[in-house]
Amino acid sequence: MEIAYFLGCIMNNRYPGIEKATRILFDKLDIELKDMEGASCCPAPGVFGSFDKKTWASIAARNITIAEDMDSDIMTECNGCFGSLFETNHMLKHDADMKNEINEVLAETDREFKGSIDIKHLAEILYNDVGLDKLSDLVTNPLNLNVAVHYGCHFLRPSDEIQIDNAEKPTILDDLVEVTGAKSVPYKDKMMCCGAGGGLRSRDIDVTASFTKEKLENMTDAGVDAIVDVCPFCHLQFDVGQTEVNKMYKTEYGIPVFHLAQLLGLAMGLGSDELTLDSHLIDSAPALAKLVTESDKITGGE
Amino acid sequence: MSVFKRLKALFTGAKNDVIEKNSDDKVLNQKKSDKSADLRPKQTDSNTKNEKTHSSESKTPEVNKVDKTENKVVEDFETPNTEKKVTKTKIDVVGVETPTVSSEDEKSEEKVVGEDNELKDDSKDDSKNKEEKRDTMTLLNENEKLTLKNVDPEFTEIFKDAGIDSVKICFQCGTCTGGCPSGRRTPYRVRQLVRKCLVGLKDEVISDDALWMCTTCYTCQERCPREIKIVEIVKMARNVAAQNGFMAPAHKATGSFVIKTGHGVPINDATMELRKRVGLDELPPTTHSHPEALEEVQKICEITGFDDLIGFNKATGELE
Repeated sequence: MEIAYFLGCIMNNRYPGIEKATRILFDKLDIELKDMEGASCCPAPGVFGSFDKKTWASIAARNITIAEDMDSDIMTECNGCFGSLFETNHMLKHDADMKNEINEVLAETDREFKGSIDIKHLAEILYNDVGLDKLSDLVTNPLNLNVAVHYGCHFLRPSDEIQIDNAEKPTILDDLVEVTGAKSVPYKDKMMCCGAGGGLRSRDIDVTASFTKEKLENMTDAGVDAIVDVCPFCHLQFDVGQTEVNKMYKTEYGIPVFHLAQLLGLAMGLGSDELTLDSHLIDSAPALAKLVTESDKITGGE
Repeated sequence: MSVFKRLKALFTGAKNDVIEKNSDDKVLNQKKSDKSADLRPKQTDSNTKNEKTHSSESKTPEVNKVDKTENKVVEDFETPNTEKKVTKTKIDVVGVETPTVSSEDEKSEEKVVGEDNELKDDSKDDSKNKEEKRDTMTLLNENEKLTLKNVDPEFTEIFKDAGIDSVKICFQCGTCTGGCPSGRRTPYRVRQLVRKCLVGLKDEVISDDALWMCTTCYTCQERCPREIKIVEIVKMARNVAAQNGFMAPAHKATGSFVIKTGHGVPINDATMELRKRVGLDELPPTTHSHPEALEEVQKICEITGFDDLIGFNKATGELE
């Protein structure tokens, strides 16, 4: 199996550990990740989609054509990228007028949207194509962690088009997380947005922080050791945003944040260096320390 | 007798109420002398009033006109077409009143019947009264009231043309606002926004900062019993806002990053170091490594007019 690997912006340009973990994981799964040379920003669905739909769809369609030329479906591990690429792909496949309009733009760059491929999310591939059994075979270091799973918005919604899982009470991520031995802890308003999307983080950071604070509060009440996300933008919001919340509200939240790929990396025995956990603003040490303590209990400190 | 009247009031319900509002204060005062009968109508009165104010937001545009007619906006109707509508509306109002007149007790019946001939003028006076009452209810100032002058039918058409015609089946249940995480902390009201888009209150919609308080989380859309593509409506309204110059500097900056680098969040030195450390290429295989690919993105932004939209100066490579 092979798949075109769409990077996007925040993962590769801020949290390269997520990319690294993914490449190692897929190498072990024997799935070839083919680089999409010259791909750009997806561009962000709630941001560029809000500015100008035609520009948004044209840039997204251009990215899709790169994979069409490679004859591969696209995999992304960012909800925003997934949202933009999936929505554009879906729209252009179903709306002939829009497809013509966008292809007129793309013609100037010698490209044409054909509608020959599908857009997939990392979690979807791991769950449906790889399967939990095969994934659990890779787990060498079971993680004894209580985690708050954060689905994010554009991974499952709009559900009438995306149809990966129930958008209000999904289980796909919880199942994937529990493969690592971690426990997905239920918490209040689990499906709530992190607050960063829709251009809010750049425009009204106070509002964004207020979202994030509510999520952090609910996660803390549930007593979690870490947050697990499947979107680098949510990831950034829980990492950088958590420090902003602390500043604004004079709180002392310090919940470590892992992308699903990083969590699987930890379970596969990758070091925090390789996962660039040391570059996170929120220290991952408390969660990592718990892992070490737990494994000491099992091995007797050997 | 009073029990009978209360029963009657129960059955005739709202209608009974309309009468009170539409007959003048004297009638009301007379009724108030009978306190036991008064309690209930008074309560329903406020209920109906609520309903009325709600319905002014939640009906189809034509019905909306009816509501506005009652509110002295009559002067604002200019075209012969709407003139007709006014007359029609008045007939409707009469229609509502007639049955209730007969259900009234004798004392007030005399009065009301007596005034029946001048009902048209009366309804104007009443609307004045009602408007005053509504003022105290809604806290709206004179200049905050919306009239047909605020309606731009072309604005509504934008949503229909863009394939979001589901906007027209919204029945204003408010499930969207009820579930909205942004509405819990900001003045953003999805239900209101959808209604305004359908009515065509363009300036209201695009000049409102709250329009940008949506994180596009889709909670509203997922829960909408009418399956309306609410987020598409929000984004389209923002598109129109952007075209009309309502775009935050921070957003223009994000846009300019894509034109300059192909990325909304471009790489920085620290991340290049990190990438190298973990054995990844210093630059990802994106537009960052492919100048010719960046040119394609820039060309797209030029063709679609995105440059001009955000005020990107190609000569200086910066925002104006």
